[in-house]
This record gives sequence, structure tokens and C-alpha cells, in this order.
Amino acid sequence: MSLFWSVIRQLAEIEAMATSKKVITRDEWEKKLNDVKIRKEDMNKLVMNFLVTEGYVDAAEKFRMESGTEPDIDLATITDRMAVKKAVQSGNVEDAIEKVNDLNPEILDTNPQLFFHLQQQRLIELIRNGKIEEALEFAQEELAPRGEENQSFLEELERTVALLAFEDVKNSPVGDLLDISQRLKTASEVNAAILTSQSHEKDPKLPSLLRMLLWAQNQLDEKAAYPRITDLFTATLEDPTV
Amino acid sequence: MPGSASTTHRPEGLIERLRSAAADGGEAKLKVLRELKNQIIGNRTKKLSYIKLGAVPSVVSILSSASSSVDCLLIQCAATIGSFACGVDAGVKAVLDAGAFPHLINLLSHSNEKVVDAGARALKMIYQSKAAPKYDFFQHKNIEFLISLLDKNNENVTGLGASIITHSCETNNEQKILADAGVLKKLINLLQGTTSQRESSLESFATIIKQNPEVITKFVGPENSTTFGSLLELTKDRYPRTRLLACICLTLIKNATSSSSSSYLQSVGIRTKLILVLLELVDDFGQVGDEALFTLSSFIEHEEDLQKLAFEANTVDKLCHQMQKESLQAKRLEGIFTTLGSLCSNLEPCRSIVLQSPKALIIITDALTHTTTDVRVAACICLKNVSRSVKYLSAGHFMTEAVIMPVIQLLYDASTSVQVAALCTVSNLVVDFRTHKSLFIQSGGVKQLVELSKSMDSTVKLNAVWALRNLMFLVDSRCKEEIFMDLKLFPLTRLISDSNACVQEQALGLVCNLVNGPVDSIMYLFTEGLLLNTVGRELRRASKPQVLVQAMYVMCNVASGKEFEKEAVMQQLVNEDDNNQSIIVTLLQSDVASLRTAVVWTVVNLTIPTGAGALARVVKLRNAGVVSQLKNMVNDPCLDVKLRVRTALGQSMTFGDFST
Repeated sequence: MSLFWSVIRQLAEIEAMATSKKVITRDEWEKKLNDVKIRKEDMNKLVMNFLVTEGYVDAAEKFRMESGTEPDIDLATITDRMAVKKAVQSGNVEDAIEKVNDLNPEILDTNPQLFFHLQQQRLIELIRNGKIEEALEFAQEELAPRGEENQSFLEELERTVALLAFEDVKNSPVGDLLDISQRLKTASEVNAAILTSQSHEKDPKLPSLLRMLLWAQNQLDEKAAYPRITDLFTATLEDPTV
Repeated sequence: MPGSASTTHRPEGLIERLRSAAADGGEAKLKVLRELKNQIIGNRTKKLSYIKLGAVPSVVSILSSASSSVDCLLIQCAATIGSFACGVDAGVKAVLDAGAFPHLINLLSHSNEKVVDAGARALKMIYQSKAAPKYDFFQHKNIEFLISLLDKNNENVTGLGASIITHSCETNNEQKILADAGVLKKLINLLQGTTSQRESSLESFATIIKQNPEVITKFVGPENSTTFGSLLELTKDRYPRTRLLACICLTLIKNATSSSSSSYLQSVGIRTKLILVLLELVDDFGQVGDEALFTLSSFIEHEEDLQKLAFEANTVDKLCHQMQKESLQAKRLEGIFTTLGSLCSNLEPCRSIVLQSPKALIIITDALTHTTTDVRVAACICLKNVSRSVKYLSAGHFMTEAVIMPVIQLLYDASTSVQVAALCTVSNLVVDFRTHKSLFIQSGGVKQLVELSKSMDSTVKLNAVWALRNLMFLVDSRCKEEIFMDLKLFPLTRLISDSNACVQEQALGLVCNLVNGPVDSIMYLFTEGLLLNTVGRELRRASKPQVLVQAMYVMCNVASGKEFEKEAVMQQLVNEDDNNQSIIVTLLQSDVASLRTAVVWTVVNLTIPTGAGALARVVKLRNAGVVSQLKNMVNDPCLDVKLRVRTALGQSMTFGDFST
């Protein structure tokens, strides 16, 4: 190669370094990834953590037997927790409260906000079922004292009682309370409280690992072009776009 | 049944069924207990109404008569009793009065873990209340029992052990007994356990080491680095409450040992880290954030270096910003004011930020009328420390009606601690330049200060006199007269002879400021000749240097007056008839430099060569041995004394050296 061309090539390289990002090919990338060692037991624990936190008790039991991974929690408590969650989701709030109290009486005794939200959900269900008289009595006797203890409870209570004021509740400003999402919100709040009382984190670790993966890729995007994972479901490496 | 579901939920109906269940027994017991339990959990109002209706004794009677083989009945009883005791002191009392305690203790040795859980939970609830009986750590078997609890592999049982400690350990001796029995080590081991174990262990750990340097040096020192390391590690824990508790323990360790030789937590890195952790916790608007504020203020309270670190971490901006939020709870306000108060006690930049922050001063002064006593105290102390800024004080920043009126109002507060805080603030605010003082006087502040100077409470009295003293500082003649009229002669002489030397010191300082300034001010001392005599008597009688210094400066100020006044001072200081050494010589020989300075200044004023009696005074002083004493002092180690001694000797010499 003549000196002239070699200089031109070097210049081009310098220019590439200045204007565009470092390029990592699929081969290089896969080689790098292969060097990262991950222990099988850690993988199993992550899966078990997901099953336990999300409450897949039968799957967890099977997985325990097949993989020999011990869950960090008594699997029986998952059944109880899921029963509570399910009761709230299907509108049987009173039943849910009794189940929580059997599981651990401290949870609702020391968590006024959760207790209020469960009682509020009970009121919502009474209104949904058209038991207006009972709803009023319940609001008066059970919820009003909580409102006196706490300003923000009072505001929420007023919003809930407002359900009785509208003819077309669904299209009213408080219609969201009757939505199924309200039940899910309350159910997830109880679920989290039970998990916390069992010294268990309320969120599984797997989603946060994936979040971290996406975040790290976004950081890396600014510096390099590399085979990234865009589709989490297939987790395929896509060729870098240069 | 004709009645709807809700009528059977009425307390009276349920109580009826509970009573009959307790009497006849059978299956009904379990059902009615469970119903009661579900009624009261989380519901304070219902707990109180059932307690009133006498539900607790019925439940305890079911528990006491239950066979130990009916596990579910035992569990329901314990859970119900526990809930009655949870968060309601009247419930704890009812439970204890009904004799539940020994039955619950029995449950701890049951073979079914769920029964043990329920019993331990109920007992833990009892011990989390102030109404619980004090646990006697001085009995050996009690310590053994406590340790057996901490050794159990059950988080409710270990939690019970920790709650007992947190509730009952108060004195240094109790702390020592527990530490010597190895309890600290057990608590540290429990830090490896569940979240609730970690939190309850940290709480009792803090209780055992609180203000006890002996226990800390013995059990938490560098040789126990694992303990220290574990605590540091936990400041990074994922649970805010755990981080807070770890910070509390480290703060207690630092505060208890900061004055001793083996002080821990000196590393700037760790100190900064701790401040940052606490500041982050302050963002939590619940109990954790509140406690983080109090921990932060106690961490930085007595060390300017730490206040600087906290300042550099933007604590002041953060708190000024946070206090602007609407509807803050009382605890939060108290915490913000306390921490800002700490920061502003020494650092001018902190005061500047507060004073320049929009509305901060308004929010602080508004809080002076808050309904909660502790908030009023904290706001008042905060105002005091902010007003230590000479720059803003002398610019008249605080002598406005908006600030002064609520402060004066606090002087009338029913709480002594508020009064004392207000007095300290007044003391600070009135050291203002003379033009601004009249506002305070016109607003009726003096009358109340005088009233409080007669208080039976020695702290109130002391601070009231102190405030009057500062008010009298550099004040114009008209104001002086008004203050003196309010104060009156006899109360003042009584204060000068008070049994408390600190009160005396301030009262004499007040007199000093009274006679300072225009020559005619000195006349106050000669009203019926009483004040000067009283001051003279204290000079001969008092032993505290601070009192003597102030008394001597009164004499010094008077001696700066005309012939008549100078002679009066001579009479007080030099007694010709007495063969004993005169008081002025004794005082010149004091070890306390500031006292020697005051005396020499007085001699300087007495020996000023102009004036008809100057020569006679010099002769008298010489005869009393003052001149020869002064000659011994020409090389006094205190520069101030040395210089004045030379002036005094020079003046005496103008009349010739009599020593030859």
C-alpha cells in the first residue's frame, strides 16, 4: 500500500472515531458474553423468587421438587396470601380481612392506611351491589372514625361516599372507584403488606434485572453500536446498525 | 333471624354472646372470639367501646380455662388480647387488670409454634405500650428468661425480648447488667435475621448504649469491629427504618464518646455519609423522616465541624424548602426547626440562607403560636439562633412587630420550657442597637420580664434577668428609666443577693449596664444608697469569680463618675478601720485574670490625677497596700492586666513615689 493510501486510511479511522461510535460485531459480543459466568443455582433462585412473589404456589412446589431449589418462605403462606388477594379481587373484602387477621393480626393493627383502604373497598362493594342503606351505615360507623383520625382518609372517604350522589356513576368524576382497577390496587396493597410482614420483598427480582438490562443498554447506546436485545420476550441479539 | 347482619355486629349483641360463650363453652367460643377479633383489629374506636363494655375479662377467662390442647382457641384468645393491647393504653391496662399476663407467658412454651407466635405477639404489644409494667432486670432469673427469649428461633419471641428491653431499660445500671449478660452480642447476631428482628434488635441495642460511654467502650469499641461494621453496613440497608435505626445507634455511639479520649466516628467520610443517609430519609414524610430529622440534629448539635458538613450537604436549603410545604405535621415542624436551630447556632452562612429564603422567617414566627408546645419551643430556639447573625440583627431585621409580638406573647405561655426558650430569644433580640429597643419596651415586654424575674423556677428567673441585662445594654436614658421604673429597687437588690450565683452574675451585669453610659446613669445606684451597698456586700461575700467580676465592673463604672461617686467606691473597697487586708488587695491577688483586669480598671478610674480628692485616694490606696500589690503585678501574665497596672501605677506616681 502506498504511503498516500495508508495516510488516507488513518485519517478516515480518526474521523470515524471522532464522529461515530465504536462498533462491536456480533462475534466479538458473543465472545464477551460467553466469558460472563452465571451459576445455575442463582438462576434457579431467581425463578423461585419470581414464582413465590407472584404467588404461583403449585409451580413453585413443582419447581422445588424438580430443581431442588428451596424457597425462602413457607410455601403454605403463599396459598394464604393468594387467597386473600383473590378475595379482594373478587370483591369479598370482609372475607379478605378475616383471612389477613388469621394470617397475622399485626398487619392491619399496625397499618392504618391499608386497613382504611380495605374498609373503603368494602364500602365500594356495598355501593356496587346497591346496598345503599347498609353502605351508609357502614360509612358512618366504620369509616367516619378513621376520617376523624386522619385528614387524607377523610378526603378519600368523601370521594367514596360521593358515589351515592351520581345517577350515572360510571361517567362521574369518581367513577374510577368502581373500576376493576381499584380492586386490583387494593389487592396489590394487601399482597405487598403480607409479603413485607413475612420479611419478603414485595417485588420479584426478575423484572428489576430486566429493567437494569434495558437501562444499561440505553447507556451503552450513546457510546457504541453493538448487538442489543430489543425484544425481551425472544431475547435475540439484533445486529448493530452502523 | 329478623335482624340484618349489621345489628348482630353491634357491640352489645356481641358482648352478650361472648359472655354466654365464656360461661357455657362449646363451639360457640371460637366463633364469637374470631368475630370480636375481626371487629377490633385496626379499629381504635371499637377497641375502646368493647373495653368499656368489659369484653377483656371475658376473653381472658376463656383463655385461662382453655385446655392447652385446643390450639385454635388459644390462638384466637391471644390474638384478641394482643389486638386490645395494640396501640391503646387503656387496652393494655384492661388486659393486665384481667390477669392475662401469666397465661400469655405460658403460651410461650407451647409445642405448637403458631400458639407461641400468638402469645409472643400479644406480649410484645403489651411491652410496646408505656402502660406496661417495668421488667426487673436486677433479678437473675429475669435476665435468664430474657436471654432465653432472644435465643429462640422465632421472630415474634425474639421481638418480644427486644421489646422488653426497649420498654424497661432506663438507668445506666440496667444498661450495664444487660451488656454484661451478653445481650448486646445476641442483639448483634439477630441483625442477620428477618427485617422485623433487625429493627427490634437495633431499637433495643440503642436503648442499651444510650448515653453510656462505659458500655460503649467495653462492647462497641474498635476491638468489636464487627459490631461497628454491621451498623455501618445497615446504614445502606434497603429498608428506610433499618437505615434510620442504624444511624440512631451510630449517633448515640458518637455522642456518648465524643468527650472521652477514645472517641469513635471521627472519619470525615463516615460522618458525611451518615449525614447524607439521614438527609435522604428526611424525604420520607412519615415517622421515619421525622425521626431522621431529630437524629440529624442530635448528631450535629455539639460539633461545629459536623454542622459545617451538614451545611455543605445542603441541609439548610433542603429544610427551608421543606418547611414551605403546607399542612406539615407538628413533629415534622419541630424537627425542621430543631435542626435549623442547631445549624444556625454557629454558622453565619446558614443564618443567611434562612433569612434570604422566601417566607422562612414568616413560617418560623408563625410557628411561635402553634398549638403544640414542642413546636413553639423549637421555633423559638430556631429564631434565637438565626438572630445570632450580627449583620441581620444590627440591621433591625428582627425588631419588627411581626417578630417581637409573638415572642412577647410566649413570655406569658403556660409552659415553662416555652417561657425559657422565649426568654433566651428575647435576650438575643434585644442586644440590638438602641433605636430598635423602644419597640420591645412599648409592647409591654419589660413588665413581663420583671414578672418572670420573680419566678420560683430558677431557670425562668435566670433567663429573665439575663434578658433584662441585655435589654439594658447600650439603651438610651429614657428607656433606661422606664426599665428601672418597672424593675424597682428592692427586687433588684434581692436579685443581686440571690442564692443562685448565676442569677447574681446576670443581675450584677444588669446593674453594670444600668450605670454604663451618661454620667447621670450612675445616680440609679445612689437611690437610697442601697444598690451600691448591696454590690459592695457581694464583693466581700461572694466566692464565684463571675459574680465578683460583674460586681467589680459595677464599681469600676461608678468610679468613672465624679468625686462623690469615686469616694463612695473607696468606702466600699478600702476599709481604713479594719486591720485585715482590704478587699481590693485580696481581689487583685485572684487567680482569675478577668477579675484582676476589672479590679485594676477600677484602680485606674480611682487614681485619675484630676479632681480634688485624687491625692487623698492615692494615699489611702497606698496605705491599704494596693500600690505595692500593683508593683508585684507589673509583669502579670495577662497582657490586659499588665497594661492597666502600668497605667494605674503611672497615675499614682504623678503625686510622687511615696515608697522612698
